[in-house]
Amino acid sequence: MASSLTRREALGGAAAALVLASCGGGDPPPPGTARPGSGAALLSSLLAFEHAVIAAYGACEEVVGGRVLLHIRAIRGEERTSASRLAQVITELGGQPPPGKSAAEYARTFPRLRTSEDALRFAQDLEERQVRADLEALAELPDAALRREAANELGNDAYHLAAVRVLQGLPAAEGPFVTGAL
Amino acid sequence: MAARSDVELLEELLVREHALLSAYEAALKRDAIDAELGATLRDHERDHVRALEQSLPGGAARNPRASVPSPKLEAALGGGRESFARFAVDQEGSLVGHYAATVPRIRNARLRGPLGSIMACGAAHVVALRESLGSRYLTY
Repeated sequence: MASSLTRREALGGAAAALVLASCGGGDPPPPGTARPGSGAALLSSLLAFEHAVIAAYGACEEVVGGRVLLHIRAIRGEERTSASRLAQVITELGGQPPPGKSAAEYARTFPRLRTSEDALRFAQDLEERQVRADLEALAELPDAALRREAANELGNDAYHLAAVRVLQGLPAAEGPFVTGAL
Repeated sequence: MAARSDVELLEELLVREHALLSAYEAALKRDAIDAELGATLRDHERDHVRALEQSLPGGAARNPRASVPSPKLEAALGGGRESFARFAVDQEGSLVGHYAATVPRIRNARLRGPLGSIMACGAAHVVALRESLGSRYLTY
């Protein structure tokens, strides 16, 4: 439960892990008629987390202002576009895109965000998790056309991650290999 | 058209990473980029080149490099820091797009994740360069 976490934990990886577990990673495969091994289940996991991230940026919008708010809104808009695209691809594979949860259900899993700094730290952790999930999908999806979708997601999320780092006064890239190494 | 091999795809990425490395080295020599930012981006590109070389059979022995200096780079360097930053944003953004098109075609699944992490670093470079230009548009 988010309320039992310390402030530091609540704003870092533990909170985002909670969000991930409750909004995508821990869910059973979605219903649908996609062929096993088609990649629909993996894309559905990405989409389930994408829904949570969109809700999370909504929570962030409530505590940020000025330049940061403009960027958060822009990123949230791009995440919505990504969600629509993923849903379309899952449908084309014969799957049923996960619909997402209510705003109230998502809100219960989010940490309490009091300041712009809290929101950006939360956003950074969510974007890092999205980038890792995109990298995993890029490695594991069964055909090149689906991997291209994952690569496009990765590109978008990598731009977002760098932007939320810059908005915190951090270098855009933490190192030469974002969340990985060759 | 026959599908290109992983080696061919990796060599093409390596040529483009070499071109970016050379561009940052030249920009630093000619004071066409902030020294700290330029050194960071150059060092990242060196690591990308090294990683790509290691992923190729035969490693650096195959090392393909572009041999003709780019007239666009020369013009950008001659135009000062803003000119070079705009040039670098274009080059980095183009390379991110190239990775997005190329990495999904790599057959060796173990390489695709790490190559994606290089691609993600390229996106971060675009954001860093846009920030250096004072752009309001970090992501869009």
